Amino acid sequence: MSYELAIILVRGLGLGSIFALLAMSFNVVHSSSGILNFAQGNFLVLGGFAAAFLLASPPDMAMWWIMLPVATIIVAALLSFHGWITLLPLRNSTEQDSWMISTMAVSIMIGAGLLITQGPFAQTVQSAFASFRVMGTRTPAPYALCFVLMIAWFLWLKWFHARTLTGLAISAISQDMEAARAAGLRVRRLQLLAFTISGLVVGSTGFVAAPVLSISADSGFRYVLNGFIAAVVGGMGSNTGAVIAGPLLGIIAMVATYQVGGEYQNFVSLLILVLILMFRPQGLFGRTAARRV
Amino acid sequence: MLEVRNLHAGYGRMPVLRDVSFSLKPGEILLIGGENGAGKSTLMRTIGGFITPTSGSITLDGKSLIGEAPEDIVRLGLRLVLDGHRIFPEMSVYDNIRLGAVMRGKERGSFEAAVKAIFEVFPILEEKRRDYARDLSGGQQQMLALAQAFVAQPKVLLCDEPSMGLAQLLMPTIMNFLKVWAESGTAVVIVEQHLDAALTVSHRAIIMERGQVTIECPAGDLQNRLAQRVSA
Amino acid sequence: MAQAQAITMTKPSGNLTSDKLQFWLGLLIIFGTVLIPDFMGNQYYTHTFQLVNLYIGVAILQNILFVDAGQVAFGMGAIFGLGAYVAGIATGMHGLSYEWGIVLGTLAATLGGVLFALPALRVQHFHLGFVTLAAAMVFPEMLVAMNKYTNGINGIPMPTSALTQRLPIGLAPLSLVIAAFSGLMLVLHVRMRRTKLGRRMMVAAASPEAAQSLGTSPGAMRSIAFILVSALTGLAGTLYPPIVGFVSPSAFNLDLSILFFFAVVVGGRGQPLGPILGVYILYLVPNVLLVQFVNFRLMAYGAVALAAMLAFPDGIIGSLEIWRRKRQLRPEDDGALRVDRIIANAETEFTDKPLAPDAERPVLVEVHDGRKSFGNVRAIDGVNLTVRQGEIHGLVGANGSGKTSLLNVLSGLSRLDSGSLSVKGRDITRMAPHRIARLGLGRTFQAPRIFPALSIWGNLEIGIDGRYDKAEEALPVRVQALKEALSDRSAEYLPHGQRRIVEVMRVVLKEADILMLDEPAAGLSPEERAEFSHLLRVLSRQMGKTIILVEHDLDLVWGVADKITVLDFGRVVASGDPAEVATMKEVHHMFVGKKHA
Repeated sequence: MSYELAIILVRGLGLGSIFALLAMSFNVVHSSSGILNFAQGNFLVLGGFAAAFLLASPPDMAMWWIMLPVATIIVAALLSFHGWITLLPLRNSTEQDSWMISTMAVSIMIGAGLLITQGPFAQTVQSAFASFRVMGTRTPAPYALCFVLMIAWFLWLKWFHARTLTGLAISAISQDMEAARAAGLRVRRLQLLAFTISGLVVGSTGFVAAPVLSISADSGFRYVLNGFIAAVVGGMGSNTGAVIAGPLLGIIAMVATYQVGGEYQNFVSLLILVLILMFRPQGLFGRTAARRV
Repeated sequence: MLEVRNLHAGYGRMPVLRDVSFSLKPGEILLIGGENGAGKSTLMRTIGGFITPTSGSITLDGKSLIGEAPEDIVRLGLRLVLDGHRIFPEMSVYDNIRLGAVMRGKERGSFEAAVKAIFEVFPILEEKRRDYARDLSGGQQQMLALAQAFVAQPKVLLCDEPSMGLAQLLMPTIMNFLKVWAESGTAVVIVEQHLDAALTVSHRAIIMERGQVTIECPAGDLQNRLAQRVSA
Repeated sequence: MAQAQAITMTKPSGNLTSDKLQFWLGLLIIFGTVLIPDFMGNQYYTHTFQLVNLYIGVAILQNILFVDAGQVAFGMGAIFGLGAYVAGIATGMHGLSYEWGIVLGTLAATLGGVLFALPALRVQHFHLGFVTLAAAMVFPEMLVAMNKYTNGINGIPMPTSALTQRLPIGLAPLSLVIAAFSGLMLVLHVRMRRTKLGRRMMVAAASPEAAQSLGTSPGAMRSIAFILVSALTGLAGTLYPPIVGFVSPSAFNLDLSILFFFAVVVGGRGQPLGPILGVYILYLVPNVLLVQFVNFRLMAYGAVALAAMLAFPDGIIGSLEIWRRKRQLRPEDDGALRVDRIIANAETEFTDKPLAPDAERPVLVEVHDGRKSFGNVRAIDGVNLTVRQGEIHGLVGANGSGKTSLLNVLSGLSRLDSGSLSVKGRDITRMAPHRIARLGLGRTFQAPRIFPALSIWGNLEIGIDGRYDKAEEALPVRVQALKEALSDRSAEYLPHGQRRIVEVMRVVLKEADILMLDEPAAGLSPEERAEFSHLLRVLSRQMGKTIILVEHDLDLVWGVADKITVLDFGRVVASGDPAEVATMKEVHHMFVGKKHA
């Protein structure tokens, strides 16, 4: 029993780290522009595809380290372009909701593009690192790597937002865009930068997590859903919340898969989302995140 | 320094500003008064780059500002302080001031001098430098908004309704600050409906009505000019 | 009256909206495309356009939900699928009649609407969108997982329905039903905006606080919107099985939900013709023209939505409409329109009545030892306040002294930590804001709540809609004159000062007898202030309203108020007659070189 528990805990923690990383990548864009990128999950999957293409099978350790920044930068570049497109119509529209459509449309296009070029089947990527043992069970290394990656990005983002002027400026935009422009902050450039940073986060995650990721045309939205739930449970905009809520969600998802079957995993996630929004819409660490009634 | 010539601007086909002209010298304080809806805020936002004029010219030291984005206009040396003390509520007072100097790059020394000067005028800001700006009162937020503009050291400062939502008690402090600021060579425009407090520090005054300038005179003459109109 | 006459004479030839034109055009398109292919006997196009027009009906419902009721719901495909699947299960698996299928399917979808409405009571905007989108993603998964009841991935074949047999007139009943359904949805969309319910919904969506202050519960409006739209979407769903002859989980996946939402946005939010154009562009074009490139269908679908979004940020019809409105903007639409003068003309019948002594006037509003903290800031700190009938009661004090907090507590928008409140002798300490409003309380806001989607008259009329628990009565002649003068005036360009007047008038039309005005003179010019003081006196002395006035302009307050309460740091530091209060030491620091005694 304790052995099963260990599997659930370790794998849940690893899976949850991916959710937390997604949540943090949501947060950085959301706080600069109020945009919630529906296509974020597809970019995660693109990171996985990048690993599948760039790495031999089984992968070479040195190549892995070389290709990690390459894949990360490719995804970040694509996401920056996506961000540029998303921000385009926001200039003179009376309603500021166009991003819901454009990011969803891009999400559909990426999914469709992968379907056309790669077919409906999932890619597999082998791990460059040897698996490790927890209570006698072999556990794929990426679960641990994702956890490390989550901590690393968390610390970097914390430093960035609090210490650097650029990070502060990004926060300022989220608080009052007009005042930010009046103060001379180059809003569009900073928002684009936020998209790039979110691309770095999500691209590195996709690459590192590739061996345990479901890399297929239609899995993007599943990750968006879980990343969003981690962000909401933690409190929209709070990275501290994200690194706590993500692993929590990962463990619950693992328990659900184990107890009631994989086909109910999304259902359980939805249930958690609804419960949190009903009873604590601001999340665990959010101040005024969800627009409450 | 700032030259506004035959400015027309509005929303869609609806004109708000009709043929507005004025100019501003270094160190001068200009009061722009007028009824609500007269176009004062529209004028400020047009000069600040938030609204594109339909015709006319705006130049700063001979360089046209038309078509420039608000953030680039700040870099050219014109700073607009929006009405309603708009600061960044979810960060500290000090970080708010820091962001004010963002586009000045690496002139570390002058920034620190500016901050020191600001803290001397508004000691409450130094006292609360680590507090969230949202926890300040309306008046303190207005001080912070001015502080944020001050550290940018603009050549021209536009101040839209600094008294809005403020206790009358605070007005002299704010007006005196603007006066001292102008003495250092900065040209200042104050948009106000409460003329009295602002008149004491202004050099010249403009009254706008229905998008046009109807009175332009030395500040000292304004009350007489207004009184004449009432009796006429 | 002369003023109103003058206004009527400048009545423009253009319309505020092109709803009417769009409506007739939409009706023509729906009926034409369903009935003509069927009449011509083309099976393929009959089938295609039946489905297209059914989707149009659902997209129109999505338009109502998204724009008129302000609810971001991405998952309407799941509601549609619920209607279709339950009808399919009832008829295809249990042999019930199709009529039963319709009833059960609609019921199931309504229940689904209730489930969607629950989170909507707590969260809005994209949070709600995400929940519903997630539900739409999970829905087909559940259809597969619960294969015992749903036949799983194999789906359910439907017995052939009599609806598809063509009648002697050359049309199948199904075509007639679908055309009628989508046509009716279009009627519903256009008509609803002219009803009390439609306006209440719109106000609740645009400003929940304003809705509450007019006696409307935003939660109730959201629930009604979700349930109404879901029931009708479910009804549309039950028409799906006879068209296709088959239901399977893959027909109701996420793409369908996204289609409905995209159709509204690409076509133009709130435009009657929007969903029709949207479904044509997003569904018909990829499915009919690109039918041989089946793999590219999804790609085209995303690309079209993205391209339309970039070229027309307000939707295609929406962008056209904005262009039309800009062209029609008239010079009088700027500051020249003086609503206050028109209104002043309508209020001359009464005569001044002097205010009776305190003892003869009953207490209407009472705060007893009220306390309220935000974090470590004591916004209201042991406040006692008594407001008697008919008086103008000024609340003054520096910024952050607790004036607006007190108004918010009185109107129920926030709750006291301790202490009690009563209005007209009834305890309202724990009462919901819309219930308090129905006791006859009305309030205005620091930022006037003006709704640009409505005409100026519409902005006043929502006050009349706020007369709950009162029988409908014909509008007095004077109000009727206002209606005529202001019905086709856009509120969008109304200047600030006039917005304040409109908001005050709205509360008067609500027949509130206690008015709470939050800094009504902020942003008014001296001339407008003088006129506003006069309006306050008319409201008080002629119409008998009780007024609680929060205001920074001390000249104005001392000029009109009968009683003044001074707040400082959440405490009452002085209260009484204006002359008396002006002499008190505690308030001297508030005046700068002015005499009020």
